[in-house]
Amino acid sequence: MPSWSELEPFIISGLALGGVYALSGVGLVVLYRATGVLYLAFGAVGAFGALIAWSMVQGGIPQWLAWIVCILFGGVVTLGYGTVFGPPLAGRGPLVRAVATLGLTLILSGAMDLLWTTSGGQARSLPLPTDNGGFTVAGIQVTWTQVIGLAAGVALTVGTGAFLRYTRLGTAMRAMANDREITATLGVPVRRVEAAAWFGCGVLAGIAGLLLQDLVSLDATTLTYLVISSLAAALIARLRSITVTFVAALVIGMIHDMATTFTALSNYRDMTPFVLAAIALIWVSRRQTVMSRSGEEAS
Amino acid sequence: MIDTTGAAETAAAGRRRPAPRVPDNPVKLAVAAVFVLFVIFGLPEFMNLYYTGYLTLAAIYAVVALGLGVLVGRVGLFSLGQGAVIQIGAWTGARLLYATAQPYPVVLIEAGLVTMLIGTAIGLPALRMRGLYLALITLMLAGAITVILATVNFPNGGGGFSGYDGSSVHIPPIRRPSIAGTDPAYFRFAVVVGLVMFALVFLHLRTRPGRAWAAIRQSEPAALAAGINVTFYKLWAFALASFITGVAGAVLAGQSHYLYSINFTTQDSIILLAVALMGGVFNLWGAVVAALLMQLLPAVLQNLGVAYDWLTIVFGIGVLQVLTTAPTGIVDQLPRDIARLVLFISGASRRSTANQGSAK
Repeated sequence: MPSWSELEPFIISGLALGGVYALSGVGLVVLYRATGVLYLAFGAVGAFGALIAWSMVQGGIPQWLAWIVCILFGGVVTLGYGTVFGPPLAGRGPLVRAVATLGLTLILSGAMDLLWTTSGGQARSLPLPTDNGGFTVAGIQVTWTQVIGLAAGVALTVGTGAFLRYTRLGTAMRAMANDREITATLGVPVRRVEAAAWFGCGVLAGIAGLLLQDLVSLDATTLTYLVISSLAAALIARLRSITVTFVAALVIGMIHDMATTFTALSNYRDMTPFVLAAIALIWVSRRQTVMSRSGEEAS
Repeated sequence: MIDTTGAAETAAAGRRRPAPRVPDNPVKLAVAAVFVLFVIFGLPEFMNLYYTGYLTLAAIYAVVALGLGVLVGRVGLFSLGQGAVIQIGAWTGARLLYATAQPYPVVLIEAGLVTMLIGTAIGLPALRMRGLYLALITLMLAGAITVILATVNFPNGGGGFSGYDGSSVHIPPIRRPSIAGTDPAYFRFAVVVGLVMFALVFLHLRTRPGRAWAAIRQSEPAALAAGINVTFYKLWAFALASFITGVAGAVLAGQSHYLYSINFTTQDSIILLAVALMGGVFNLWGAVVAALLMQLLPAVLQNLGVAYDWLTIVFGIGVLQVLTTAPTGIVDQLPRDIARLVLFISGASRRSTANQGSAK
């Protein structure tokens, strides 16, 4: 058994990772509630943005500009996808709409491998200036990037919660999550609200990509499929509650990193999100079939 | 008083087994037979070893795509975890081939059965979920299985349960059947195994399970009302798909000689679903098209010097195209498009001759 002091640094890094998972998970849940689309290309969009930012920094462009481009890229691509493929698939089940975003994932992933070939074998990295600074808490080194990861997760969860509760647009999104048809009848500009949700989710994908490339690694495949880990948090919340998503994401991040210290578990730590999500889903569905509302069936 | 005269005969007629039917379309059957005979006897003679290897993979993955086609097309269960299922089959097959001297068909069946057991065990709780949730839980479980197998490693002739010896310098290759040691012979072997699997699925589709699946896909409540045990038949579909995928995995073990966990990626599961959708999940030929897209096309492109990544992009576009406009896939769409094109051309030529005639 590792001692408590050995575990502490992993709690910090786990919280940072969990914070970014929370950021992604909340983005996924909000978009799913507003539009009915589970955006599986979330990770690929973030990875693409991060790689663009890397190229820009390599080309001598100031860092802050590269970050903005990365974040905007996420928003624009996601909004573009939502505008083009949202309407034709609107009548189909959530499953078909989720699988369609896998199409976008493949396109982006192929394009990334073409543009940033991995054959060279050189490891890319885009260190954020926040890595160097930091402070020490009870003998543990904490970088600002880790703080930003957790803070972004917290801020985003609180911010989104407030946004959904108190603003006009947020109310419209919640109404659409309940019933799209009735909301449209009430005079809410459904398409525009959806566009806002798509753009917002894309921006979050860009931010998540930027943070994760620093916390994990700047590798197209890794970042693309990290979405599955944040998806696990969203799934534990049954794609509904952003608070549960946030808590689940922190727990996943912490267990994942703390498992590093146990030699027997260390190699299996990447299973954490999958196992927790599977257990949660099976637990929730032990009595009844998991099915949120009409139209949940495959079609 | 209810009149029951004739009820006994009706019941007896219901019990009477229908006489074996002649195939619906002898022409179609003949085309299929000629195609199969050509693939087994003709094709390996033309091909160099490079293409023979990739065609063997295509034969293997046709079975995998078929399993996915049964789940998606026949029962409406989307699985994002078939890439992990084939890994279980490959692992079991490799382990048995190293550990025992059993004849190959026995090993294939055993690998299929083990995979079927695991697949069904996973399917049992997963079946409580529907649609999106089921697809996502298969994705999660596939991720977990991939992590486990990456840690346990694929067998390389070592001892113990895992059969992996990290310090082993000289790794013996996974054996092949004595009659199919060479690559062309192994290709024929893979095709024959594939045929048996296709026949197995065909048999299922033509009998009670196939009808039950069709009813479930149409409407689950209606199937339930008609007295179909929905959970049982869904589980059966999982079992069948896992079995044939497991067998395919064991054939893959013999084909590749050495197995490494880095050869199996999450992207594979997604590309598998993509090509299965593109090929067409409602038609058995769709699985063949899917396998050719996934295994042969990259080989052809590589020969032409085109990067594989272009193909990934094409698969992505293909998924979006299939889902938005052509849910039946290439197998159904292409003949229709060709027919339409032929009609258009013949119409155009007739029109132009008519125009010339009127001009005279």
